[in-house]
Amino acid sequence: MFDLRFYEIWREQVFVEKLINGIGTSVSLMILGGIIGFIFGLALATARGSKIGLLRIPSAAFIESIRNTPLIVQLFFVCFGLPMIFEYRWPFFASALLALCLNFSAYYAEIIRAGFENVEYGQSEAARALGLGKNDILAYIVLPQALAKVYPSLVSQFVFLFLTTGIISEVGVEDLTWAGRYIADRNFRDFEVFIVLTIAYALLSVIFRGVLTATGQLVFPWNREK
Amino acid sequence: MESCVSLTNLNKWFGSFQVLDSINLSISIGEKVVICGPSGSGKSTLIRCVNALEPFQSGSVNVCGISVEKNGRNATDIQRRVGMVFQQFNLFPHLSVLKNCTLAPCRVLGLSDDEAESKAMHYLERVRIPEQASKYPADLSGGQQQRVAIARALTMEPELMLFDEPTSALDPEVVTEVLDTMVDLAETGMTMICVTHEMGFAKQVADRVVFMDEGKIIEIATPEKFFSEPTHERTKFFLSRVLG
Repeated sequence: MFDLRFYEIWREQVFVEKLINGIGTSVSLMILGGIIGFIFGLALATARGSKIGLLRIPSAAFIESIRNTPLIVQLFFVCFGLPMIFEYRWPFFASALLALCLNFSAYYAEIIRAGFENVEYGQSEAARALGLGKNDILAYIVLPQALAKVYPSLVSQFVFLFLTTGIISEVGVEDLTWAGRYIADRNFRDFEVFIVLTIAYALLSVIFRGVLTATGQLVFPWNREK
Repeated sequence: MESCVSLTNLNKWFGSFQVLDSINLSISIGEKVVICGPSGSGKSTLIRCVNALEPFQSGSVNVCGISVEKNGRNATDIQRRVGMVFQQFNLFPHLSVLKNCTLAPCRVLGLSDDEAESKAMHYLERVRIPEQASKYPADLSGGQQQRVAIARALTMEPELMLFDEPTSALDPEVVTEVLDTMVDLAETGMTMICVTHEMGFAKQVADRVVFMDEGKIIEIATPEKFFSEPTHERTKFFLSRVLG
């Protein structure tokens, strides 16, 4: 009978510290990446819906190239490829954050674009009939309704993307996945370590989902089921 | 009498289909005009050309002393002076009733929030729903929503009001509350163009009734004359259908 030895994780203080730091790194990367990626995504979605080809075509090309390539390739490209050309050295955390932001932005952009397309035409027409200009119509009428419509999808995407962030441990960012491997490499208790990681990721996902859903109810109070 | 709207030889096509065919119509300040006709006759398109929601190909449209450009480049100059009420209300679902009314006055006319709010409350009282000001549109009945839409347009203090079948999407029992609001508005001297099938409203309020078919104006007459002695066969046929 296989005997479970979770204490092999707790008994070394350095293991516990790595786990806690890992959670901090994963969560802060996700929050930063989520917010910056969302802002990029918003810009991309607007550009992709634009009538100006100079905005629309590059943004569509960017979105499609991100959505049709693996995150790990994008990550290596940003961490090792780009620095060769532009001759910069960033800490791995920053490179990983950039890669995640670029990746998230493409997925968010597509969801937000779906939201734009789902706002009834009558809404912008009524706004025009009141004399509102294009920018006001976008900012005050179309955008809030578009975001409200796709908010649940944005939350799901956020949580899904959180679960893919473990890949950044490949470039040496000491996130939660990296901490798990660090511990398992030293105490050989892979089963216990990855059970703990599984529970940690699941809990964090549930917390993210809960917080984001509650935030949505505050931000979009009209958007409730009747 | 000074004219508020003047359409001269207005033509519009959707592709190869001509929706408006040589329309000539002049409407004086303070006048109430009801436009009726079978569906697809171009009534809605006509009033949408008046507030520059639709571009047109030839002819001229002059509204409130401004000549509307065919490509709609000066559309917002017209739209801030002309209020419009739609068949489907088109209230902004994410804004409270009060915000629905104050957004355009704040953004377009540059009013302060306080000024816009007191103006909006004034018009919400006029349409008799000030108590709903803090609610969202989804919490209101159809008739109430349409009255908010009227108040929203009025808060811009337009020189002309357009109504595009304002009661067609309403339950029969709330049609009257919207029509009463429109009658009240007419009594204040507002210039109004209404596309509607409510013949009772036309009789009560209209100075002139315009009958359209296949993109043309077939007949223009005072309501007394229009309903009692229509001159064209097409008008007689339409009236026999509508009045039953």
